[in-house]
Amino acid sequence: MTPMRHDDHALADALEELRRAEARTKTPPHVEAAVLAAWDTAHVHDIANRPRNFWRDAAAVAAAVTIAAGLAQLGQRLQRATEVAPGQSGNSRTLLLVGEPIQQGEPVRMVRMRVPASTLTGLGLRPVTGTPGEHIEVDVIVGEDGVARAIRVGR
Amino acid sequence: MRDATRTTDGDLTDSDLMRRTAAGDRDAFTALYQRHHAMVYRFARLMTGSNSAAEDIVQEVFLIVMRDAARYDPARAALSSYLYGVARHHTRRRLARDRQFVAFDGDCCDTTQRVTEDDVNATLERRQTLLRLRRAILSLPRRYREVIVLCDLQDVSYNDAAVAVGCAVGTIRSRLHRARHLLSQKMGCAMASEEDHQRQSVRCAV
Repeated sequence: MTPMRHDDHALADALEELRRAEARTKTPPHVEAAVLAAWDTAHVHDIANRPRNFWRDAAAVAAAVTIAAGLAQLGQRLQRATEVAPGQSGNSRTLLLVGEPIQQGEPVRMVRMRVPASTLTGLGLRPVTGTPGEHIEVDVIVGEDGVARAIRVGR
Repeated sequence: MRDATRTTDGDLTDSDLMRRTAAGDRDAFTALYQRHHAMVYRFARLMTGSNSAAEDIVQEVFLIVMRDAARYDPARAALSSYLYGVARHHTRRRLARDRQFVAFDGDCCDTTQRVTEDDVNATLERRQTLLRLRRAILSLPRRYREVIVLCDLQDVSYNDAAVAVGCAVGTIRSRLHRARHLLSQKMGCAMASEEDHQRQSVRCAV
C-alpha cells in the first residue's frame, strides 16, 4: 500500500496538542531531592570550613541554645514517654533536627553520606567513636520538598 | 526561551545565579534548578521516551551545572541553550547505552486527561493521535528528532536550537523541514495501517 501523506495542518495540530500536553509534565520531586542531596554531599566540607565572623557566631550560638533547649525538652518528653530496653541502649542513634519538624506520616527520603567525624563537632555533636579525621556515616532525612529536615548520627 | 541577560522583577539573571552557584551558594543552585528543570526533563523525556531515563538525565545535567558553573560563559550562549546542549549530550550517551533495549515507556504517554461521557470518542481519538505522534517522533533519526523536540515541542528559537545542537541555523531549518516531512509520512502510514486493520476486523466480525 502506498503510504498516504498525513495532512500538514493535522500534523501541526497534533504537534501543538502534544506540546500542550508536555507542558503539564512535572519533574518528580524525588529528582530535586537527589540533586540537592548531591549538592549537600559535595559541599559538606565547605559548610564545616566556612569563614567565621561575629554575627554568624552569635547567630550560631543563639541557634544552638534554642536547639539545645528544644532537644532537652524533647528528650525529657521522650524519656517520660518511652522506656528503652537495656539491650538496646548501646545501639541508639542521635537525631538532630535541622529544619521544620517531620510530621507524622510525612513522606521523607533518607540519604546516607560519609563525612569526616569532625563535621559533627560543627553541628554541636560529639562523635561517639573514632578520631576526628575518620569518616563516619550519617543519614540525612530529606523532606518531599528537597530540604534537609534531620540528620541521624551514630549507632 | 529565557535569556541569560533578561530578568523579571526581583529575579536574578541566569548568569548571576551561575556565578553564585560557582561560589557555593545553595539557594542560587536551587533557584537555577527550579527555573530550568522542567525544560530539561521534558526534552530528555521526549528524546528517550522514558521517564526514568529523563530523571537520570536531569540529575546528570544539574550535577554538571554544580561542578562546572564557574566555566559557564554567558557571552557564548544563553543558559537554556547550554543546558539543552548538556542534556543532548547525556541523552545521546543514554540512547547509545540503551540501544539494545526498547526505548519506550508505557507510562511516558500516560495523559491524565479526564474523559467525560460526551466526548469519549473524541478524547480517545485524540489520545490515540498523541500516542501515534510520540511513537513517530521516537522512531525519527536522532538529528531530526531533536529539532522537532526543540523547535516544535519546546518553543526554542532556531538560533538557540543551533547553539544547543552546535550547527548553523540553516541546518536547523533544513533538518526541521525534513523531520516534519518524515513525521507526516510516518503518521500517514500509522493511520493507514490502523484503518486497514479496522477494515479487516470489521470484515472478520461480519
